[in-house]
Amino acid sequence: MTNKLKRYEKIEFLGEGQFATVYKAKDIENGNIVAVKKIKAGSRIEVQDGINRTALREIKILQELSHRNCIGLLDVFSQGSMSNVSLVFDFMDTDLEVIIKDNTIILTVANIKAYVLQTLQGLEYLHLNWILHRDLKPNNLLVNSNGILKIADFGLAKLYGSPNRLNTHQVVTRWYRSPELLFGAKQYGVCVDMWAVGCILAELLLRVPFLPGESDLDQLTKIFQVFGNPTEDTWPGVKSLSDYVEFKPSAPVPLKNIFIAAGDDLLDVIGGLLVLNPLKRKNCTDTLKMLFFSNKPTPTVNSKLPLPQSIKSVKELEKPSLKRKLLDSGEGGTLPKRLFF
Amino acid sequence: MAGNFWQSSHHQQWLLDKQDLIRERQYDHSVLTEDEYQKIFIFFSSVIQQLGEQLKLRQQVIATATVYFKRFYARNSLKCIDPLLLAPTSIFLASKVEEFGVISNSRLISTCQTVIKNKFSYAYTQEFPYRTNHILECEFYLLENLDCCLIVYQPYRPLLQLVQDLGHEDQLLTLAWKIVNDSLRTDVCLLYPPYQIAIGCLQVACVILQKDHKAWFAELNVDIERIQEIARYIINLYELWKTYDEKKEIQGLLAKMPKPKPAPQR
Repeated sequence: MTNKLKRYEKIEFLGEGQFATVYKAKDIENGNIVAVKKIKAGSRIEVQDGINRTALREIKILQELSHRNCIGLLDVFSQGSMSNVSLVFDFMDTDLEVIIKDNTIILTVANIKAYVLQTLQGLEYLHLNWILHRDLKPNNLLVNSNGILKIADFGLAKLYGSPNRLNTHQVVTRWYRSPELLFGAKQYGVCVDMWAVGCILAELLLRVPFLPGESDLDQLTKIFQVFGNPTEDTWPGVKSLSDYVEFKPSAPVPLKNIFIAAGDDLLDVIGGLLVLNPLKRKNCTDTLKMLFFSNKPTPTVNSKLPLPQSIKSVKELEKPSLKRKLLDSGEGGTLPKRLFF
Repeated sequence: MAGNFWQSSHHQQWLLDKQDLIRERQYDHSVLTEDEYQKIFIFFSSVIQQLGEQLKLRQQVIATATVYFKRFYARNSLKCIDPLLLAPTSIFLASKVEEFGVISNSRLISTCQTVIKNKFSYAYTQEFPYRTNHILECEFYLLENLDCCLIVYQPYRPLLQLVQDLGHEDQLLTLAWKIVNDSLRTDVCLLYPPYQIAIGCLQVACVILQKDHKAWFAELNVDIERIQEIARYIINLYELWKTYDEKKEIQGLLAKMPKPKPAPQR
């Protein structure tokens, strides 16, 4: 345990969340760059609780998973007091929230398709393994300098499928929370993650959060302003949800008026994900079969995806040195010929 | 528990070989005979079961805790951690992993004290010696020795499906379920996948109830020799139980058990 503390050399502080602080570090055993997530010790009472539950949830689920679009858990160690756990992950350069907010980045349909495709492929794998993520949002979708997207932060994830088990509806960051959760549903499935993907896709197009509610009630208002009110016809059983409240009737707005630049195949995807009735919402497998993903343009290849300037500049700095290395080694002849126009 | 067993850490990392167990237990077997070793594990399985029942845990959590306990000692000698400390620690970790509400540490410790005093006074004359800080420290060693593999598949769910396929037989299910519980007192959970254990237990139950389901078993697409091995483990356990009086022997066995060196005084 103690030598592991030395194994990861801290490089820089990356960020801080509610439960943890994250550092960039170097694994001195193999030179790999990793992210070390140090779980906060919390209050005295939580310390009495032993290894933090959120961390345990991540450990337990990530240990069973392996997919190129899900973050990999590389190691677990503790420092100092025993219940102080650190998790070691693949290092990821940025996340989708940064990319969306970066005004210098232009997201073409092909780019958006590539990001959504990777999200859905990772999520399909999770769902096929009976795991709900329950906290999908742009800043939990990490992207590395090769343009590979990985779903991260499994602190709220849970195995689903036990028919009688009740779950809390206090999950998912509000803006990405589905209407059934906002109405207090305690039995739900993959549909909660699918709604969140719909919101993320919308945000990739609009470049601002699609439904930024200021409270849970305001969130529902914002949803119904776009999609109209649910009725027992469109969503059977909605009125029997525990926190159901009647809203002032409003008519749905055609998605075409909101996403003016989007083609019909893309609007179909949004319309398939953002359905008020959770049972009518499309799942990952069905969404991936939709025309949008097979139509042109083809999704951008990972290495060509637009990334924030700060990451690109690092990559470009590295490139000439590689070229130099090749030239130095006397194999300059293998370099592609330069084309003059 | 849901999930894909074939890609799980349980299937890929934690189905051990009989040879592995023999190798890892070499030291303990230099002190204890195989029978004595098994009797100690029978005893601690009962301790975990009693603690779990007292804490009103579901059988699933108790079974997971027992498997954690057994996995730890599949890689370590009994002298590494006192099993009396590892037993409640396994319960503590399993209840968190299985998302079974919070067991506060003080409640766990007080339950240990009561259970040891009321149910196991024939084994321990002194009161339960450990405190919260011991459990918290032990929890991390447990997690590490499990290689962070926390999801354990149990035979209960496949058993339900198998009995349903046989045509609902309540008596058979009840008995087979009990046999699965008993199987936690053997090494089968370390050696065989849960669906095979379920079939093995079902077979023993059929024999005990003298139910003839030969045709149904013959139709199963399983390695029947493995099932026989599991049945053999369980029958051996019942044979052992016939002549074994835990109340008389356990104190002697616990005294003989390899123990951790006393911790340096802090």
